[in-house]
Amino acid sequence: MDAATTQAMLHTLQDPTGIPSHPLIFQVLMVLTWVPHILFVNISLGAALMGLYAFTRRHDPHWQLLSEATTKVAKVGVSLLVVLGVAPLLFTQTIYDPQWYTSNLLSAAWVIGFIFTLTIGYLAWFSFYLKNHGDHAPGWIFWLGAFGLAMFLLDGFIMHILAYQGLHPEQWVAWYTPGGQVDMSGARIHTYELPRFGFFMAMSVTVFGAFLIAYGDYFKVRADRTPAYLAFARGLGSKIALIGAGLQIILFLWWLADLPVDIHAWTHPMTWLLLIYLAVLTAAFWFTRTHPDGQGYKLLTLSVGMAGLVAIFREVLRMAYMAPFNYNVLDYKVHWDVPSFALFLFTIVGVGGLMGGFIITLVYKAGRVQGPYQADSTVARLGMGSLAATITWVAAFMGVGIWIWLRNNG
Amino acid sequence: MNEMLGLYPQWYVPGIGTAWVMGIIGTIHVLASHTSVGAAWLFALLAQKSVNENKPEIMLYLKKYGMFLLVFSYIVGSITGPGIWYSVTVASPRGISGLIHNFVWLWASEWVFFFVEVLGVYAMVYLIGKIDNKTYLKLAWSFAVASWATMILIVPILSFMMWPGNDRWYSTGSTFDAAFNLNYFAHLGIRTAFMFAVAGAVGGIIAATLKDRDTRIEVTRFLAKMGLAGMALMFVMFMWYTATLPPNARLIMETQMMPKYGSTLAALLIATVVYFVFSAWKPLRLPQGFAVAMTLAIGLFGLWPEERSRESMRKPYVAGQYIYSNQFFARDVPGKGVVSDMPLIKAKGVLATDYFVPADLRKITPENELRAGDLLTHMMCANCHSLEPNGALRPLPALFGHSNEPKMIQAYLDGALYHGLIPYMPKMPLPADERAAIALYIAQLSSSKPPVVAANTSISTEKGAN
Repeated sequence: MDAATTQAMLHTLQDPTGIPSHPLIFQVLMVLTWVPHILFVNISLGAALMGLYAFTRRHDPHWQLLSEATTKVAKVGVSLLVVLGVAPLLFTQTIYDPQWYTSNLLSAAWVIGFIFTLTIGYLAWFSFYLKNHGDHAPGWIFWLGAFGLAMFLLDGFIMHILAYQGLHPEQWVAWYTPGGQVDMSGARIHTYELPRFGFFMAMSVTVFGAFLIAYGDYFKVRADRTPAYLAFARGLGSKIALIGAGLQIILFLWWLADLPVDIHAWTHPMTWLLLIYLAVLTAAFWFTRTHPDGQGYKLLTLSVGMAGLVAIFREVLRMAYMAPFNYNVLDYKVHWDVPSFALFLFTIVGVGGLMGGFIITLVYKAGRVQGPYQADSTVARLGMGSLAATITWVAAFMGVGIWIWLRNNG
Repeated sequence: MNEMLGLYPQWYVPGIGTAWVMGIIGTIHVLASHTSVGAAWLFALLAQKSVNENKPEIMLYLKKYGMFLLVFSYIVGSITGPGIWYSVTVASPRGISGLIHNFVWLWASEWVFFFVEVLGVYAMVYLIGKIDNKTYLKLAWSFAVASWATMILIVPILSFMMWPGNDRWYSTGSTFDAAFNLNYFAHLGIRTAFMFAVAGAVGGIIAATLKDRDTRIEVTRFLAKMGLAGMALMFVMFMWYTATLPPNARLIMETQMMPKYGSTLAALLIATVVYFVFSAWKPLRLPQGFAVAMTLAIGLFGLWPEERSRESMRKPYVAGQYIYSNQFFARDVPGKGVVSDMPLIKAKGVLATDYFVPADLRKITPENELRAGDLLTHMMCANCHSLEPNGALRPLPALFGHSNEPKMIQAYLDGALYHGLIPYMPKMPLPADERAAIALYIAQLSSSKPPVVAANTSISTEKGAN
C-alpha cells in the first residue's frame, strides 16, 4: 500500500470518539508506565532462569537457597508485570489504536494463545514454586518450571510480534489478503525482528544481575541469611549483570543496523544517549565487580535509568516509523473531560501514593526484621492514611455518582 | 457523511465464533475476580473477628485460605482480566476502542487499584502473624475497600455497554454521564452481592479441611451467613437490574434468555441456598468435595448463562447503543463527534469503503459475487452467528431454515434488516448488489455443494444466473 493511502487508512481507523485529554499526557504516561512493566518482565525472566539453573545445583546450600528465593521472585514478579502491563497497554490503545488493533487482529489466534499459555505457564511455575523447598525437592519438578519459563518466553515473543507488526501499516492489507484471498484465521505471524527481541532478553540478564546484587545488600541485616550466602549472591549478580550489559550493547548495535535506512536512527540523539548510557552501565558493573558489597541499590537505580532511556528510545523509534504516514499522536482529536482526568489524578496520588506507599514501606521494613515487626510511627500514619484515602475515594465516587444518576435519570 | 469506513480486519473462529471465546475467558475471569474481591472482604471481616475476640486460630485459617484462595484467585483474575481485554480486542475492536476512548481515565484509575492490590495480596498473606494486629487490620481493610473499588470502576463500563439509559451522554460526551448510567447502581449491587455469595462457597473448600473443631464450625457458619446474605441481596438487586434494562434487552430476556436458562438459574439459586443453609446447620458435615462441586456449579450453571445472556441482551449493540455488534456505528454521537456509518454504507456499500477489502472485490461482478457474499456475510453477521450449519453460535443456515433459495433470504435482507425493524438485529442498509451477494452466499451454505468459493468461481456464476 502506498504512503498516501496508508496515511488515509490510519487516520480513518483512529477512533472518532477522540481522547479526553491532551495526547502528550497519554504519550508521557505510556512511556513512564512501560518502565516498571519491562523491569518486572526483566526481573521475572532472569529470576525464573536462575531459579531453574540453581535448582540443578541444589546439593549446594547456597544454590538451593538461591533457587528457592528466585523461584519466589519470579512468582511474584509475573503477577506484578501483568498488572503493570495494563497501564502502558491502555495508553497505547488510546493513542496508537490503529496500530495495536490491526496488529492484534492479524495474529488474533496468537493473542488468545497468549492468555492461555500465560495462564498455564504461570500455573506450572506456581506448582514448581510450591514444591521447590529443601534439598530433597524431586528432580522432575524442574520440567514444570522449565515449561513455565518456556511459556513466559513465548508470551514475550508474542508481545514483540504484536508491537512490531503495528509498525508496518503499509503491509497490513497485504498480510490480511495474501494472494487476494482474505485470511480471517489470525493464525499467522507476519513479521518479527530478532535483534529487537534479543535486546529485551539481554536486558533481562542485566536487570536481574543488578537485582541480585541489591538482594544481597537488602538482606544484610537479617541474621538468617549468612554473609557468605549474600556475598555469593552479590558476586553472581555482578557477573550476570556485566554479561547482560555487554550483550545489550552488541544486540543494540545489531538492532540499529537492522533498522530501515530512512529512519535515520544513527543520527538521532536518543540513539547515542542510550549507547553511551549502556557503556557507562557496563563500566559501572566492571568497576564494582570485585567489591559489589553495598553497591546494589546504586547499580539497580542505574539499571532503572537504562530502562527509562530504552522506553523513550522505543517511542522515538515508533514515531520515526510512523513519520512517513504523517501519523503524529499530537494531532489526535481531543474532547477534554476534566472530571475523569481529575479522578485519575486523585486516585494515583491519594490511593497510589498512600496505600501503595503504606504497603511498600510495611513490606520493606517487616522484611528486614527477623520475627514479628511492630509498626513504627511512620508506618502507623501511612496505614491510617491508606485506609482514609480508600474510604474517602469510595465515598466521593459514589457521592458524585448518585448526584449525576439522580440528575440524569430522576 | 464519512468517505471511508474505519473497519479493522476480522477474526473468525469457525464453529463457536469469537463471542464464545470471549464468553469462556469471561466466565473464568468473573469467577476468579469476584472470588478474590469477596475473599478480600472475608479476610478483613475474619481478621477483625480474630482480633476483637482474641482468636488467633482464625488467623491460621486466613493464612491457609490466603495462599490458595486470595493469591491464586488474584493471579488467575489478574491474568484473565487482560485476557478478556485481549479477546474483546480481537473480537470487537471498535467496541472496545469506543469504550477505551470514553473511559480511559476510569480504566487508568482502576489500574492504580490493581497495582496496590497486587502489592497488598502478597503482604496480606505473608505478613499474617509477622506484624502487629493493628497494622494488619489497616492493611486488610484498605485492601478490602480497594478491591471493591476495582468493581466500582469496571461496572460503569459494563453497564454503559448495555445502554446510557438517557440521551444526555450523546450530547455531552461526558465520561461521568456515561459512567453513572441508569443501569449502573443495580448492576453494581448484583455483582457486589455475587462476590459475597461466591466467596462464601469457595471459602468452604478450605474451611472443610480445618482440623480444629470449634474454628471449623465458626468459620463455616460465618461463610454460610455471608453467602446467604449475598444471595438475598442478589435477588433484590436482580429485580432492580431488570427494571433498568432497555426495551430491546427486556424483550430478549423474556423471549429468549429466560426460556433457555431460566430453569437452570432457578435450580442453581435453590441449590445454592440449600447449600448455605445446610452448611450453617451442620458445619462439620460439609465435605470438601461438596464445596468444590458447588463452586464449579456456580461457574458452569450460573456464570456461563449470565455472561451469555448479558452479551445477548445487549443486541444489536455492543456499547452505549451507538456501536452495533458487527462494529458499525449505529448513530451519531454529537458530544463526541461520532458520525453514523449507516448513510455511507447505504450510499456506497461496504466493499468499496473498507480499506481491508481485496481490490478485485470492491466491485461485485457475476464472477466474484459468491466471494463477495462470503466476505460480506462474515463482516455483517459473523460477530453473532456461526456460518456453519451446525455451529454453536446462532448458526445462520439454521436460522434461515437451511434454505438454499437466495431470493427467500434476500427478502429478509431487503425488508426487516434494511430498515432495521428487528429489535435485536443491526440495521443493514446495504446496496442491492451487496444484499444479493450475501443472500447467494447464505443459500450456498445450505446447498448440497460445499461453498468452495476460492477454488471454483464458476459456482458463483451458476448461482448468480439463477
